Amino acid sequence: MRTFCFRKSSCARVILSAAAAIMQIGILTFVPDAALAHGERNQEPFLRMRTAHFYDVKWSANDIPVNGEIVVTGKFRLFPIWPVNLPLPEAAFLGNGTPGPVLARTESYINGVPAIQSTKLELNRDYEFKTVLKGRVPGYHHVHPMINVMGAGPLLGPGNWLSVTGNESDFKLPIKTLSGETIDNLETWGLGRVFFWHGLWVAIAIVWLVWWLRRPLLLPRFRALTEEGGDRSQLVTSTDRLFGAGLLVATILIVFFGFQATDTAYPRTVPLQGSRATVEPLPEVPEQVKVVVNKSNYDVPGRSLRMNVTLTNNGSTSAQLGEFLTSNQRFINHEVSQAMATVDPNYPKELLPPNGLKVSDSRPLKPGETKTVDIEAADAAWETERLSSLINDPDNTLGGLLFFYDEHGKRTISNVSGPMVPVFTDPDNRTAENPKGGAG
Amino acid sequence: MQGGASVRLYGLEWPKESARISRVFDLLVAAILFLAVSGAFHLHYMLTAGDWDMWIDWKDRQWWVTLTPIMAITFPAALQYVFWTKFRLPIAATFAVVCLLFGQWINRYFGFYLWSYFPMSEVIPALLIPGALVLDLALLLTGNFLFTAMSGAFAFALLFYPANWFWLAPYRLPVEVMGQLVSVGDYISYAFTRTALPEYIRLIERGTLRTFGGHSAIIASFFSAFVSILMYLAWWHIGMLLARVVTTPNTLKNFMGLTDKDEPAETAQKAIDRTSLQGRFVASE
Repeated sequence: MRTFCFRKSSCARVILSAAAAIMQIGILTFVPDAALAHGERNQEPFLRMRTAHFYDVKWSANDIPVNGEIVVTGKFRLFPIWPVNLPLPEAAFLGNGTPGPVLARTESYINGVPAIQSTKLELNRDYEFKTVLKGRVPGYHHVHPMINVMGAGPLLGPGNWLSVTGNESDFKLPIKTLSGETIDNLETWGLGRVFFWHGLWVAIAIVWLVWWLRRPLLLPRFRALTEEGGDRSQLVTSTDRLFGAGLLVATILIVFFGFQATDTAYPRTVPLQGSRATVEPLPEVPEQVKVVVNKSNYDVPGRSLRMNVTLTNNGSTSAQLGEFLTSNQRFINHEVSQAMATVDPNYPKELLPPNGLKVSDSRPLKPGETKTVDIEAADAAWETERLSSLINDPDNTLGGLLFFYDEHGKRTISNVSGPMVPVFTDPDNRTAENPKGGAG
Repeated sequence: MQGGASVRLYGLEWPKESARISRVFDLLVAAILFLAVSGAFHLHYMLTAGDWDMWIDWKDRQWWVTLTPIMAITFPAALQYVFWTKFRLPIAATFAVVCLLFGQWINRYFGFYLWSYFPMSEVIPALLIPGALVLDLALLLTGNFLFTAMSGAFAFALLFYPANWFWLAPYRLPVEVMGQLVSVGDYISYAFTRTALPEYIRLIERGTLRTFGGHSAIIASFFSAFVSILMYLAWWHIGMLLARVVTTPNTLKNFMGLTDKDEPAETAQKAIDRTSLQGRFVASE
C-alpha cells in the first residue's frame, strides 16, 4: 500500500511538474510583453555615476504611429574621474536603448557628425547628440539614448516611455541605392534571392541524402563491412560513383556560373564599411565654480546622500546651485527658479526625485566668493535605482554634475566627485517606538 | 536461424522481419541524429563562428571568409569518420550542414525574427551546402581521408565565398546615408539596432590583407582552405576517438559483494587499493 501511495504521489508530482513546465513555456512564449525596460538599474553605480552623464535630453513625442518619427536630442559629458577598471573611450558608439529593434534608427549624429560608425571620445568634454527613430513595432517602449564604450559596455541615458500605435505590417524603410536600385523596404530586401538559393541547395542536398537513405542503411551496412561474406562492392557501387562525379561537376558549375551571373546582375558593390568617425567635442567651457568635497555620507536608513562641499566662484557673475545630476537622477533645488524652469513637463517623473536637492545656503555665490555648504539629496530613488549598492563597491567614489545658474539664468556645470562613507545607523537613534530619537 | 522468408542485403542473409526492423531502426536513428546534430553543431557553430554568421553587417571579405569554413568543417569531418568507416556512407558533411542550416533557420526565424523583432534580412545564415557536397564527393571518389582533406577540405573553404555571393550581393549595394557611403547590409544593421552589440565590435577587414590587390576575399579563402585541411585532419581523428566504445570496470560491485563466480571475493580495502591504483579505461574497437 505504501508503495502504491508512493507511486501515486510520484505520479502526481510528475504531472504537476510537467504542467508547471508547460505553463512556464506558454507564459514565456505567448506573453513576451512582460519585459519592458533594459536592466539599467542592474548596472553598477560606479558605471552610472562616473562615466557618461546625460543632460538636456528631450524626446520629440510620446506617441507615434508606425512609420512616425521621434527625435531624441541632448548632451552628455564623459566624467573625468573615469573608473580605473574601465578602458578609456577610445572607441564609442551612439546607440539607442530600446527593447530590440522596435524602432528603426534612420539618422544619428554626435556634434553634427554622422554616427553610423564608431568614434573616439574625450573625457571631461561635452557632446551633443541627435537620434532619429521611426516607429516599427506597436507597443509601449522605453527609449533611452545610449553610449556604448568599448570595454565598458552600454552606458544608458535617461529613458522615457513611448507609445507606438498602428500595424507592424505597414512598416516600410525604403532607400535608393547609388547604383540605381529602389529598395521598397529594407526589412524584406533580397529575401527572395536568399530563399531561392538556400532552397535550391537544400533540394540538391536532399537529393544526395535520399540517394543513400533509400537503401538499407545502418545495421546492414555495418554488418557488410565487419562480417565475413559481406559484399563491400554493393555498399558503394559504380553507379554511386558515376552519380557522385556528375553531382561534383554540377556543384562546381552551379557555383561558378551562379557567381558570374550574380556579378553581372550586381556589377557595382562595396565592401562593408568599418572606418572610424572623427568627432570634435563641444568647445570647452571653463568650470566657473570649483567644487571640493570635504565629506560625503550616504545615510542608509535615511536613504539620503549628504555632502559637505566648498564652492569657489571663479567667474564674473554670481552662481546659484540649482541641480545635482547623477545616474540620470535630477535632484533639483526647488529654491532656484532658473533650475526649476529647466524641467521639461515631458521629462520622466521617475527621474525627478520629488524632494529635490536641499542646500544649507542657497544664496547666490558672488564672484570670487568661497563658501562651504551642506547638500542633501534624499530620496527613495537611492534604493529603488539600486544606487546605494555603491557601498559594496571596491572603488567607493561618487560622481555627478552640479549645475549653477547666474541671475540671468545662464548655466555652468561643475563636476563633483569624492569618496563616500556610508552611515549604517541612525545618529539620533530614531525607531518606530521612539520617533523623536535620543535616549528615550 | 529459424525458417521463413529471408533477403540478401549487401551479400548477407537477413530474415525479412529483421530487415524490416532494421529499416525502422534506420529511420529512428536518422530522425534522432538529425535533431542531435542540429543542436550540437548549431551550438558549436554559434560559439565559434557566432556573430560572423549571424549578422548581415559582420559578413566581411576577410574574417567571415576565413573563420566560417574553418569552424564549420569540424562536425562534417568528425561525422565523416563515423559514417564512412563504419557504414561506407559518403553523406556526413552534407548531412551535418543540412542539420546546421535547419537549426540556424529555426533559430533565426523563431528567436530573432518573431521573438526579438529583427528583420530576416539582418540575420541570414551562410550557405555551406556546396562545400559540404564537394567534401562528401571527394571522400566518395577518393575513398581516402588524406586525399579528401587535400581536395575536399580545400574546396570546402574555397567555394564558401562564391557560393554565398549569390544571395549576399544585394546586401553589398552602395547607399548614401547621412552623406556617408555604406553598403545596404551596413545600413540594415544600423537601422535595426542591436543594443548590446555596437558597431565597434565588428572586425571589418582589419589587418593587412587588403594590401594584396584589394579584394581580400580571395586571399582569405585560400588561407582558410589551408587551415581547413588541418582542421579536417584534426576533427577526423576527434571523430575516431569519439567513435571508440569506452567502458570502465565496475569496481563498485566489489563493495556490494557482487563478484564473478570464478573470482574470489576481495575485501573492501583491497578494492579501494585496486581502484585507486588503476582507475583504468578499457577501450575496445
